[in-house]
Amino acid sequence: MELEAGSKVKEKVFSVSEYLEFLNNILKNLSVTIRGEIGEKLSKYPGYTFFNLLEKEAVLQCFVHKEAIESAGVVLEGGMEIMVKGYPEIYEKTGSLNFQVEKIELVGEGMLKKQFEVLKKRLSASGYFEDKYKKPIPRFPEKIGLITSAYGKGAKKDFLTRLGNLGFNIMFYDSRVEGIFALNEIVEAITWFNQNLPNMDAIVLTRGGGNWESLRPFNSEEIVKAIFASKIPVITGIGHENDNTLADYVADIRASTPTHAAVVLTEGWKKSVIFIGGVEKTFSSLINKTFLDVKERIYLFENYFISKIKKEINIQSENLKNIIKDLNNSFQNYFRKFEFLQREFVKNVSRINISLNTKREKVKDLSDSLISNNERWLENKKTILKYQEEKLLISSPQLKLKQGYSITSDEEGRIIRQLNKLKASQNILTRFYKGTVISEIREIKK
Amino acid sequence: MTAEDEFNFTEAYEEVEKINEWFQKEETDLEEALQKYERGMELILKCKERLKKTENKLEEIKKKYAPIQSVSPEK
Repeated sequence: MELEAGSKVKEKVFSVSEYLEFLNNILKNLSVTIRGEIGEKLSKYPGYTFFNLLEKEAVLQCFVHKEAIESAGVVLEGGMEIMVKGYPEIYEKTGSLNFQVEKIELVGEGMLKKQFEVLKKRLSASGYFEDKYKKPIPRFPEKIGLITSAYGKGAKKDFLTRLGNLGFNIMFYDSRVEGIFALNEIVEAITWFNQNLPNMDAIVLTRGGGNWESLRPFNSEEIVKAIFASKIPVITGIGHENDNTLADYVADIRASTPTHAAVVLTEGWKKSVIFIGGVEKTFSSLINKTFLDVKERIYLFENYFISKIKKEINIQSENLKNIIKDLNNSFQNYFRKFEFLQREFVKNVSRINISLNTKREKVKDLSDSLISNNERWLENKKTILKYQEEKLLISSPQLKLKQGYSITSDEEGRIIRQLNKLKASQNILTRFYKGTVISEIREIKK
Repeated sequence: MTAEDEFNFTEAYEEVEKINEWFQKEETDLEEALQKYERGMELILKCKERLKKTENKLEEIKKKYAPIQSVSPEK
């Protein structure tokens, strides 16, 4: 059933339940925020709570689910001033109007602080603020997603001014940072960057200073979860006098103000400008130094080498001198020995010659003597021989026989010198100079 | 995309830092030193060019606001 079809509605006859449904469909779109005080009587059930929102004489009955109460971070009590966000609805069974509370926001610094502490404790226990989840930003960030209000008190201007012109590529997402729409828009912005520009180097979430009331979006569970879920590192620069907001606790880098957020982003660049300027000079002087070092080394090496070579040459030449000297001495000794030997040799040769001559003469004498002796000996022997021959000739039997002697022998030819072996009648042979006779012995006379 | 766009400042800068560290060593080889010097100066020039390119680009995101709606708790 559409509102636009007003003319048709006028003609229509509703049943009660049809009419309540018709009304509730219209009422659902009338989402508002209402401020008031909680009445003393609260009906608390496990899953939901009923309470009255009061203002002087006015009363509005409210219905809230336990999730919205938990998200608020405090226990609802009578007399507490709050803001409720939701829409009206007519309860069919009683026909009374209930305000369906979707979100409870606390009012007053005291309550907000209380809520802050409760949420901080719970989210901290869940690990949202732990350092191990914090993502670093690049050393030289270039692509920056900026989430802030275009019409704020100057956070955007402060941030951009301090950022200077270093060639940043800034994607600006205009978001309210205060009031009832702020939280939603900020969460949307963080999600939008992660979905549409995931290659951003950092998201800067910034706003100027404010009191607890105005910083309410930054102390909500929703913003903590959105920042925690962001894949892009988030830098918070929320200027305020008080302590950190919950957004600061969960942020990857917490800067104190919009200006400080810009400092964080430009730090690396500023240093690089100085470093690059300096290092250029350093390199030139270093390369010169290297050249000088090498030159120095070559020079030192050259000197060292030359002196070493000179020293070596001196040593070698000294050695050579000594060798030559030794050699000279050796030669001189040798020559001296040689000369001596030569003299000795000559001397010996003449001595040998003399000796030889003497020996030769001796041999000659001996030889001469030998020849003459030999002749004498021969002569002597000849004489002896002649004598012996003559002697022999005298004693020869033939000669005796010739001289008239005879020789008697037995029949066997044995010469008989004595008579004792002779017997009578024995034949004996008697030899003469010419011829032989055989005789028989007649008688032996002794 | 031009060559200039492809230049990575972080990489170049870190290389310059490494070269600088290398030069601080006691002993340096002349030939290597010359190579490093040349490379270093080339990178320094590029870094300087990048650092000169000072104009920021600011682009506002044209977004369509979603219809006003209440924030529902995630739980």
